[in-house]
Amino acid sequence: MQLSCNYKINLLVLRLSCIKNNFMIQIQDVSKSFKGDFAVQNLNLEVKKGEILGLLGANGAGKSTTINMLLGFLNPDSGKVSINAIDTSQNAQETRKLIGYIPENVNLYPYLSGLENLDYFCKLAGLNYSKTELEDYLTSCGLASDAHLKKVSGYSKGMRQKVGIAIAYAKKAKVYLLDEPASGLDPLASNELSLLLQKLASEGATIIMASHDIFRVREVCNRIGILKKGILVKELNSKDVSANELETLYLKFMQN
Amino acid sequence: MFQIIKNEWRFLVRSRIFLGISIAFIAILLLSVFLGNYQTQKQEQTHQNATDHVRQQWVSIDEMNPHSAAHYGTFIFKPSNLLSSLDEGVNSVTGNVLRVEGHVQNEITHSEASQMQAVSRFGKLKPALLLQYIVPLLLVFLAFNSVSNEKQSGRLKLLVLQGAKPLQIILAKTFSVWLYGVLLLIFILIVYGILNSQSLTADILARTGLFFLSYGLYYFIISGLTVFFSARWQNATLALTSMLGIWIIWTIFLPNILMSSVEKWHELPSRNEFQTAMKEDRSKGLDGHNPSDKRSLALKEKVLKKYGVDSLSQLPINFDGMRMQADEDYGNSVWDKHFGNNRSVLQKQKQSFQLGGIVNPFISLQNTSMGFMASDNLHHQEFLLQVENYRRDFIKMLNDKQTFGGSKTGDWSWKEDNAFFKSIPDFDYKPTQISAVLSNYILDVALMILWTILVLTMIVFGTKKIKMV
Repeated sequence: MQLSCNYKINLLVLRLSCIKNNFMIQIQDVSKSFKGDFAVQNLNLEVKKGEILGLLGANGAGKSTTINMLLGFLNPDSGKVSINAIDTSQNAQETRKLIGYIPENVNLYPYLSGLENLDYFCKLAGLNYSKTELEDYLTSCGLASDAHLKKVSGYSKGMRQKVGIAIAYAKKAKVYLLDEPASGLDPLASNELSLLLQKLASEGATIIMASHDIFRVREVCNRIGILKKGILVKELNSKDVSANELETLYLKFMQN
Repeated sequence: MFQIIKNEWRFLVRSRIFLGISIAFIAILLLSVFLGNYQTQKQEQTHQNATDHVRQQWVSIDEMNPHSAAHYGTFIFKPSNLLSSLDEGVNSVTGNVLRVEGHVQNEITHSEASQMQAVSRFGKLKPALLLQYIVPLLLVFLAFNSVSNEKQSGRLKLLVLQGAKPLQIILAKTFSVWLYGVLLLIFILIVYGILNSQSLTADILARTGLFFLSYGLYYFIISGLTVFFSARWQNATLALTSMLGIWIIWTIFLPNILMSSVEKWHELPSRNEFQTAMKEDRSKGLDGHNPSDKRSLALKEKVLKKYGVDSLSQLPINFDGMRMQADEDYGNSVWDKHFGNNRSVLQKQKQSFQLGGIVNPFISLQNTSMGFMASDNLHHQEFLLQVENYRRDFIKMLNDKQTFGGSKTGDWSWKEDNAFFKSIPDFDYKPTQISAVLSNYILDVALMILWTILVLTMIVFGTKKIKMV
């Protein structure tokens, strides 16, 4: 009873702090290990509403683990992960309603068209949109209208990603989590993705983008965090560094 | 859940490979139903012609000594069952023509009695072969990567993020695969119904309903288990290997191993042993064809005393007929003893085999399929019993006519006219009631329901342990 009361008080304090600081995502002192090896260690991160945070790091740096904890698919061993002041390990069902997730490869149903995929995922979320509304979402996310009714099996990676973002957009997600979104995209598609993310952020979406692509992250994100072996070794504003400086910094951390 | 089922079916309908396989399979199913039906109807016609011919021969007897007529005898043809066109059961090994003759009873044991409960159906294209062996395989191939594919592609995360619960996803996938099996089943039953629309009775419909229930339950067990493995195992290959292993064990090894064990536990005498034991027991009784037989002499004294005469020639009846009937009565009691013993052994075998359904629902499916389609050993025994009862009435009528028809003892040249032979009724088979069948197979149905509950429980609790990452 007392525990529950304390939890509610903590939650209220957290929520008030979130409102005050405008934080949509808070990661507080989070550690997660697998078979004794730390994937994430004492991680602290806060992302404000409308902000884009880029997470840079090599393979195994803890980027995907962080995203999976935000998605509520992994629970931290210690610390707290919250979205809109809701603890993801306590109430993943609620936090997932706020999240749009775009993995490296958006694997949609290849036998359905982009429109049908969007319709299906929306219906799963309990959203019944008209065909026109669905088309509007796809168009807003950059998918050309002549592709709407084509089967996804014929889509490029970039086109599938646009549908993936449209799914999150139609869900009215407040938080977008992107895991290596630019990997394998051609420069044009990558640029389109950057513009789309900036548009979403300008509409109030909070975005975390995990990537290896130093230049794309610097271009799109407001803030950048560099992860190494589960530890946040550097956090900086993207405006404060040039692309070359960021690369030098990144390589320095990776080599040490 | 409906949305997920709908989406699964969209995949099935739009997949060319799947459509091709389905169309080919439906064509084979149709062929098996048509062939089965054609074969049954042809057999029915042949039996009817043969029955008419044999009856015609009987009623055409101008005049004959009744005892000679008892040896002349007749034949009874096992009526073809419309339902057995779906599942032939033990009919292929039990034979379907029985000889009705004085002193000679039909045996319950036959050359292939060892396979009576679990007949191998490989090699004969019957709908049951496809429904029991091939459809479950199709369901396994449809379901083995249904969840693992979603996991590997990352779509499972997207589905869960959109609000679908893992349990809903797995149940929906199970139902959509199960529905495919059920639709094939419904398709077969509709075609079968159309082909036999004029012969459908309430009994056939009830049996078909129970047949549908059995297969429906078995298909759910297979679909649920495969989807469960697909969700729990790390990769689809492991799920497929597991299910193929289960399929082989359930359909090929366990039924044969169990049947062999059951035969050892409750041993049925061989044909030779059965005949020797019958012969031995009969030798202890009255010999109807031997007037100097001790028991025959004792009967003679008893009858002479009853009629108050000193010699057979003074009797107002023909003692030969009476002696023949006494021989027959004794033979009947010997047959009852041995037939009863075999029946009881077979019943024990059946009950033990049914318990195999605890570890193998396929056994329950085989049992119910044969049972509800009237092609199991139970129906065959019931037919044998009806034929034997008819044989007894038939021979008794002939012996009674020999005894009380007006002839004297020793007058073997005395003959009865055509009117008498015409008055002897033909064999009238009374089909086994569905209520009797149901009580015999309620255990199999209950075991399949328990398996269904077990699979559902595995899905419900196993889903909680599914790793999303």
